[in-house]
Amino acid sequence: MIAAPDLRVDLGDLPLRNPVMPASGCFGPELGDLIDINRLGAMVTKTVFAEPRSGNRAHRLAETYAGMLNSVGIPSRGARAFIAELLPRYRNWSPPLIVSIGGLTVGAYLEIAERLTRVAGIAAFEVNVSCPNLEAGGLEIGAEPQVVEAVVRGVKERVEVPVFVKLTPNVTSIAAIARAAETGGASAITAVNALMGMAVDWRTRRPRTGTAMAGFTGPAIKPVALRCVWQAAQAVAIPVIGVGGIATVDDVLEFILAGATAVQIGSATFTRPDTMVRIIAALEARLSDEGVVSVRELIGALRTDSPSATVPMQAG
Amino acid sequence: MDHGPVTSEYLRLGLHAPAIADLAQPGQFVMLTVARDADTAPVLPRPMAIFRWERRTGRIEIVYRVVGEGTHRLSQWSVGQVIVTVGPLGRGFVIPSGTRRIVLLGRGIGTCSLTALAAVAAAQGVDVRALLSARHADALVGGDACRASGAREVREVVDNDGSSDIGLVGAWLKERRALGVDQIYVCGSGRLLDLATATGVSVQVSLEAHMACGIGYCHGCASGHPGLGEESPLVCRDGPVFQLPAV
Ligand SMILES: Cc1cc2nc3c(=O)[nH]c(=O)nc-3n(C[C@H](O)[C@H](O)[C@H](O)COP(=O)(O)O)c2cc1C
Ligand code: FES
Repeated sequence: MIAAPDLRVDLGDLPLRNPVMPASGCFGPELGDLIDINRLGAMVTKTVFAEPRSGNRAHRLAETYAGMLNSVGIPSRGARAFIAELLPRYRNWSPPLIVSIGGLTVGAYLEIAERLTRVAGIAAFEVNVSCPNLEAGGLEIGAEPQVVEAVVRGVKERVEVPVFVKLTPNVTSIAAIARAAETGGASAITAVNALMGMAVDWRTRRPRTGTAMAGFTGPAIKPVALRCVWQAAQAVAIPVIGVGGIATVDDVLEFILAGATAVQIGSATFTRPDTMVRIIAALEARLSDEGVVSVRELIGALRTDSPSATVPMQAG
Repeated sequence: MDHGPVTSEYLRLGLHAPAIADLAQPGQFVMLTVARDADTAPVLPRPMAIFRWERRTGRIEIVYRVVGEGTHRLSQWSVGQVIVTVGPLGRGFVIPSGTRRIVLLGRGIGTCSLTALAAVAAAQGVDVRALLSARHADALVGGDACRASGAREVREVVDNDGSSDIGLVGAWLKERRALGVDQIYVCGSGRLLDLATATGVSVQVSLEAHMACGIGYCHGCASGHPGLGEESPLVCRDGPVFQLPAV
């Protein structure tokens, strides 16, 4: 009899029973009514801010070709309500809980880290640096290496569990930002957050979402996300969590080959609530078919020798 | 199960969904996945009111209009395919105990969430008066279903003959109000909602919103304002039906 393939992976000090977890903002305890959350490699919360905020005005969602736009704007009930009401609901399940945190200034990240440190039941933090930096005219916090390094170092000093950093793809050099996160003390890099996008309804002469610009996600962004994962994985020694457009087991294998140790699934859970659990089952079957003993064999195993493409390829 | 046009404007989709038919309440909805088979797009499922359901056969019925890419794709589904359907979702209409007479005000496709309410209320012996409004006759839906389910009065009004004029509708409502009305239920029109709230009677309104999850975790169906501490209620989980207090 052939043993089932080994799906376990390690994100620094955090062992996972399989590499599939939800993307922040695309998961919540509510899904427990529809899927078996205990099958997931980890759970990830929506980004929590220190103070309550209401997010953006409607409409917050629009369909695009093979993707979607959201201008939700990260509403958060703040640290207090998170600890008292949301966090306890995750205790119904066993996968490690990764809490996403955000802020609009460097200080705000340190504040939320301080308020959540020593709170039981948090296995790791994911620092979402795709938030506008109010101290730098609204440029994303994650657009500047020095700011990312300062945020990560400050959060790291204040908490006792691993700190992951979730990068924005809306930058010139994702490698430089990934290195800054690693220097700041990150245990893993999550790549990537939503691409900045936009949709217009010419009949009404209005943008389709309440804010003109919105986050572009779903299968359409997969090539960009895959490229970002590849670049980040080349740039740092810490593990990379791949996210962006993943909807099938083939997508998962592509990200792992490009350098991802684990993956997150966002928009595809909206399409079908059971996407993650179906992918986990399919991953086991696929590895078994291919005679792969451990998924870890495939991490970063992309072959770039001839005759296939060499690195780095330039468009045109 | 079955799928086809009801009028030139609307299509009807009948689904075998016993688990949903078992639990459905008037005003609740389902999330329908538009992507077929192994397709990964369109990404967003569509929220759809449950037009009617039958516990005995496990059938639920959705009525919709083709407005964009998603509903266009939906219109191409054929009988025999399996469509991912999550529901019943949200908080539906409530008929408070002791209710004797109610008025339903619906506009266009918005009447779809009222027809089941008419049936349930009439079955409880409530005197149901419905006014259904639309741009033209082909855009009216649910009138026959309301009549068949025992509504005392079903008035259908349209824009192209002027019968849907807000003044006329207001006068109609005032006459019903004079009979004594315990609850007004509204769906599909801000102007009908204004008329309803102006009567001082307690109003339940069913709201629409763009949705991604339909169950309360994505926050796509709410609204907020930078600088504000709290976002609006979630249409999918706290609604879609909201009770407005009697003035
Ligand atoms: C509705 C919605 C809400 C999101 N909220 C957050 C959030 O609060 N924090 C965060 O870091 N990313 C958030 N994201 C981004 C996702 O976590 C993910 O990075 C992105 O959607 C790309 O993955 P996908 O193509 O699988 O959706 C959100 C995405 C969507 C669609
Ligand atoms: S549709 Fe996701 S929270 Fe309402």
